[in-house]
Amino acid sequence: MGGYQEGIVILMCINCIAAMGVSILTGFTGIFTLGHAAYMAVGAYTTAILTVRYGIDWIPAIIAGGLMAILIAWLIGLPTLKLTGDYYAIASIGLGEAIRLILENWQSFTRGARGFPGIEPYTTRETAVIIFIGLAIITFNFLDSRLGRELRASRDDSAAASLMGFNTPHTRMKALLLSAFYCGIAGALLGGYMSFIQPSMFDMMKSTELTAVVVFGGLGSMSGTILGSAAITLIMEYFRDISQYRMLIYGLLLVIIMVFRPEGLLGSREIWDFKGGENK
Amino acid sequence: MQQIINGLSLGSVYALIAVGYSLVYSILLFSNFAHGGFLVVGGYACYYLLTQWGYSVAISMTGALFASGVTAIITERLAYKPIRERTTTTLYLLIASMGVNIVIENLFVVTVGGRIKALPQNTFPTGVFNVAGITLSASDIISLVTAVIFLSLLQIFLNKTRWGLAIRAAACDIRTAGLMGVNVTFLISLVFFVAGVLAAVGGIFLSVRYSLYPQLGSITTKAFIAAVIGGLGSLPGAVVGSLILGLAEMLTAGFISSQMRDLVVYSLLVIMLLIRPAGFFGKAVSEKI
Repeated sequence: MGGYQEGIVILMCINCIAAMGVSILTGFTGIFTLGHAAYMAVGAYTTAILTVRYGIDWIPAIIAGGLMAILIAWLIGLPTLKLTGDYYAIASIGLGEAIRLILENWQSFTRGARGFPGIEPYTTRETAVIIFIGLAIITFNFLDSRLGRELRASRDDSAAASLMGFNTPHTRMKALLLSAFYCGIAGALLGGYMSFIQPSMFDMMKSTELTAVVVFGGLGSMSGTILGSAAITLIMEYFRDISQYRMLIYGLLLVIIMVFRPEGLLGSREIWDFKGGENK
Repeated sequence: MQQIINGLSLGSVYALIAVGYSLVYSILLFSNFAHGGFLVVGGYACYYLLTQWGYSVAISMTGALFASGVTAIITERLAYKPIRERTTTTLYLLIASMGVNIVIENLFVVTVGGRIKALPQNTFPTGVFNVAGITLSASDIISLVTAVIFLSLLQIFLNKTRWGLAIRAAACDIRTAGLMGVNVTFLISLVFFVAGVLAAVGGIFLSVRYSLYPQLGSITTKAFIAAVIGGLGSLPGAVVGSLILGLAEMLTAGFISSQMRDLVVYSLLVIMLLIRPAGFFGKAVSEKI
């Protein structure tokens, strides 16, 4: 497998991890976010600064990146998760951009817009694949657990769910923290793959891409999310030669999917639900 | 004082964009992210009518407004209408509108290239006045005056005409308005046309103030924020929010640092959402059960 193919595999794993995070929040809990690239940025910067400045080994540094994303998400979530519908989405744009701008202006700590070079290339194909598979197994198990049902209940009808005794604000918070953790890890891995990070890598465009991928795969379908994310990464990478038209195709694809199949590739079903022909 | 004038003039440009955006939101209850695309269409149409075909300023601008309005209608027909007919989830419209925005932006990247273009210097009078120690540039004044004219026209249109009445009715409840004999399809096209025209006016001013490039539409993020601060779907709210935003931006740039201005804008948005999510003039939206 050549270096180029290997890079695509790594990118696919990273994008799938981030998309799984967003899928937990948007697909399974029904909270629409447009700022999750900021959590990737937090994870990437935390890991980069810990490994480069403080010489900490990359494995604990990546975990620290994920935990830092959780901390920031908790601080953000406390006040904003009360907002519903479009308002949370708009607030997440504002917060996501604010985090990016802070990283860009905090010259002494992050080196600002010039970016942060010299990160140890710890993200190899093996690490990326192992972390992705590990997280995927955890995710699927978790979605079948009590907490997973809690998320779906608060998505489908939060009023009824809280009447049934679910603490829906807590559920929403748990979903946000979990999704921020995934994105933090994805960001940390991206830093280790590129050896270089820059605030502009985590702008609103990246955030909308994450959400768009989840919708493309199917809201409420984790296998759909992974499939969609992998497909979009492949398309975007193999079309790199005609880079001018790449974004045009991507935009058209978004519109066409929304027009002809708004429920996404798999709808709300998981891929193995199709085998028996039975609808859940 | 100087900064206040600058802020008001920038705010008035935001207002033109934010009002169009808010108008669409008030009818269809979704955030039309393609609004920035309409703005870019207006800017480029004006540029090419002026420089390539050599029309006069007045004709070029009218053409640009028309082009942008028609683009908005076509977008609605091709992308949003089929989605609206299938589902009531506004999320899909939101994503589709992002897609449309990317398409429009990159159509320009592919066809005319990503390089920065400038409208000819003599598009607007460029004189500078000196009144009581304050320098006023003619373009600032023109953008203020034009914004006032267009917004007043819109106000008259909404309040005095039959179609204005229909739009206001649809903003209350589009389904009932349809049952009462309003041609909803035509009405939505009309709203998109008006929104496109307003975006084009904003686009022309922005391309004079800064310059013209395919990503110019991203400035509508600020107009969205203005609309949210004022209250989504409320037109006076959009105007007030825009002026506040323009002032905040210019005052920050003038007295603190120009790097902080975006940060201030986004903090304003977040603070506003936390204190009063419905904005200054918005009606509180109750969750649909």
